[in-house]
Amino acid sequence: MKDDDGMVLRTVDLKKHFRASKGLNLSSRSKTQVVRAVDGVSLSIPAGKTVAVVGESGCGKTTLARTIALLTEPSGGEIYLDGQRIDGGRESHREVYRKLQMVFQDPDSSLDPQMKVGNSISQPLKGLTGMSDREVRKAAVESLEAVGMSEDYFDRLPRQLSGGQKQRVAVARAISTHPRLLILDEPTSALDASVQAQILRLLVDLQKKYSLSYMLITHNIAVAGYLSDMMAVMYAGNLVEYGPCSDVMSRPRHPYTITLINSAPVPDPWKRNLLSVNIKGEVPSAINPPSGCKFHPRCPYAQAVCSEVNPPLEEITPGRWVACHFVEKTA
Amino acid sequence: MANLLRISGLTVGYRTSRGMVRALDDVDLELGSEEFLAVVGESGCGKTTLGLSIIGLLPPRSAKVTSGSIDYKGVDLAKLDPNEMRRYRGSEVAMIFQEPLTSLNPLVRVGDQIAEAIVLRRQRKGSDQRTVGEVMQRLYRTDKSGFSRWPRLRSKIPRDLRDQVIEWLNLVRIPDPGQVIERYPFELSGGMRQRVMIAMALSQEPALLVADEPTTALDVTTQAQVLRLMKEIKDKLGTSILLVTHDLAVASQVADRAIVMYAGRIAEDSNIYDLFSSPLHPYTQGLLSCMPTGTKEGSNLKPIPGSIPDLTLEAVGCRFQPRCPRAMDVCLQKDPTLMNVKEGHKAACFLYER
Ligand SMILES: Nc1ncnc2c1ncn2[C@@H]1O[C@H](COP(=O)(O)OP(=O)(O)OP(=O)(O)O)[C@@H](O)[C@H]1O
Ligand SMILES: Nc1ncnc2c1ncn2[C@@H]1O[C@H](COP(=O)(O)OP(=O)(O)OP(=O)(O)O)[C@@H](O)[C@H]1O
Ligand code: SF4
Ligand SMILES: [Mg+2]
Ligand SMILES: [Mg+2]
Repeated sequence: MKDDDGMVLRTVDLKKHFRASKGLNLSSRSKTQVVRAVDGVSLSIPAGKTVAVVGESGCGKTTLARTIALLTEPSGGEIYLDGQRIDGGRESHREVYRKLQMVFQDPDSSLDPQMKVGNSISQPLKGLTGMSDREVRKAAVESLEAVGMSEDYFDRLPRQLSGGQKQRVAVARAISTHPRLLILDEPTSALDASVQAQILRLLVDLQKKYSLSYMLITHNIAVAGYLSDMMAVMYAGNLVEYGPCSDVMSRPRHPYTITLINSAPVPDPWKRNLLSVNIKGEVPSAINPPSGCKFHPRCPYAQAVCSEVNPPLEEITPGRWVACHFVEKTA
Repeated sequence: MANLLRISGLTVGYRTSRGMVRALDDVDLELGSEEFLAVVGESGCGKTTLGLSIIGLLPPRSAKVTSGSIDYKGVDLAKLDPNEMRRYRGSEVAMIFQEPLTSLNPLVRVGDQIAEAIVLRRQRKGSDQRTVGEVMQRLYRTDKSGFSRWPRLRSKIPRDLRDQVIEWLNLVRIPDPGQVIERYPFELSGGMRQRVMIAMALSQEPALLVADEPTTALDVTTQAQVLRLMKEIKDKLGTSILLVTHDLAVASQVADRAIVMYAGRIAEDSNIYDLFSSPLHPYTQGLLSCMPTGTKEGSNLKPIPGSIPDLTLEAVGCRFQPRCPRAMDVCLQKDPTLMNVKEGHKAACFLYER
């Protein structure tokens, strides 16, 4: 994954470490320690495609997204947007924010409750593009219509909208600047089944219409499978598997991916995968992660080398990347 | 399967400034012993209200049971006085709440809370008559660090009890249980608090467990573990489980039977296999086609048009009629009741009226 050809985004060995005091416990002497939330991720997102980023809670998905979106300073590595390096103030944030937008899980916290829908969309648009008020209004109405809402909603407050409508507004705001890449962080996990289905359909339509690229963060493997072309699996701050979504889902190769795919409930009472999956061990500590391959304490294939050497992400077959010393065992 | 619980005509309302919200409207439900029943449906359809009614914890000031009965082993729970209700709650049922923080005591270390629950359980079962105070010594202590900090209420838990507590925490996959028992609820992540709640409820070895969205906040691997644990407990102790979830996939994986709720009513009640192979109610069919399967190129993902009705308004006709693709004239005029369509499969829909 070194070529910028056809890639809207590329990261090289991207890192984000946090300083954290040890626990919240008042009694423990507070020592600063390092949380390696994102620990060397090289990921590419093809233009016009969706890359799903999946992995368990706390593995660093949101931190990766926020670092890519320059909402927080990377601790190391490089970020390229359309072939241009954007980290470390190399390109103006305004330009980056115009091309790269985020939609969050909870529309209630991402929309200002005091601000009318129209202003929520127009304000960032004006700030990022410097268009005239007339042009801004026109563009805002256009994006509202693109998400299936009319100009009538312009003067409503978020509390006058349903959960699904709020998430539509958040999407409308994100696409109003005509970004190249939309980062969707759990965009439907706060929504009901039927509303989730509406938003998923909407995202597919918008992608076709504006040839948008998506980085989709989700816990929901079915949602990832529906929306994505590629799947990236993270474990404890590292990328452990990357490849075409359908291949990764049907034939996962990294031992962690196998556990993850098997624990996703399938809506089929005749296929009770959930009750037979064998999950051992515990979620790794972000402060003191295991040595070598961070999955080794939970891995059924682990050998001595796994606790010593962190396996690099390697291309095992064209387009299919896995970070595991014993990947041949899962063939 | 002997009946453990029989709910008939249960109607529950909440008083609000906009009027009475009919959260449950004429609900009939039976639950057998050792049965694993899933309650599914979208937000606001009354799932939590149903769970709270069964456990007798409806908010007393705003909620009102306007009619119906909840028969548990021959006793009508809707008519128990608060004292009797407390005894029933302590010995027969346990609930895992949707919001775990509200149900853990913020001032007591989690280990102490679980230990206390286990002691109370032993007492009620008669296997150990000692009270909590006799088993555990309550002490006020300042922390060892030497700085004078807040005095904290601590208990001295005997070794065997401590081991049991740790084992329960291990079972719900809490990392470092030996250390976690020393912590206070606010020092845990949401997912960890949820698992502590689950451990505490399961340690009660209840006859009936009401679990309200117990795994919604957890990631899929932990969810799988917790669901498997619930199933094991059920098989081992013969517990009946009422699992509230909005996730049909979760229901299909663990439940024997499911009820689908819509706007305070049961729309369909079926064994889990028939529900997936031949769903009857158009709402159930709609929910199933909202599940993302396949890919964006080839998929039959179909959102249900419209939105849920306002529950303060009196329903005329079928509640699902405004959104129903198969609605008929009769659906506008009459309110369908839950009827037997075939053995073990009920639906409230005029399409199946004979
Ligand atoms: N501002 C911060 N300061 C310190 N630690 C942080 C900060 N933000 C995140 N972390 C830690 O970094 C790790 C990764 O967190 P992140 O939110 O990226 O996970 P995630 O994969 O998005 O999880 P989830 O699925 O639960 O949203 C966690 O251990 C988290 O506690
Ligand atoms: N304390 C309350 N006061 C007033 N109305 C309430 C109260 N609790 C619930 N309601 C209303 O009763 C209806 C049913 O609520 P309930 O919490 O039982 O739904 P639910 O199916 O559990 O939803 P969710 O999936 O969002 O948890 C909703 O319309 C809700 O707004
Ligand atoms: S590298 Fe070793 S421990 Fe890591 S996943 Fe592969 S076999 Fe398991
Ligand atoms: Mg996150
Ligand atoms: Mg609820």
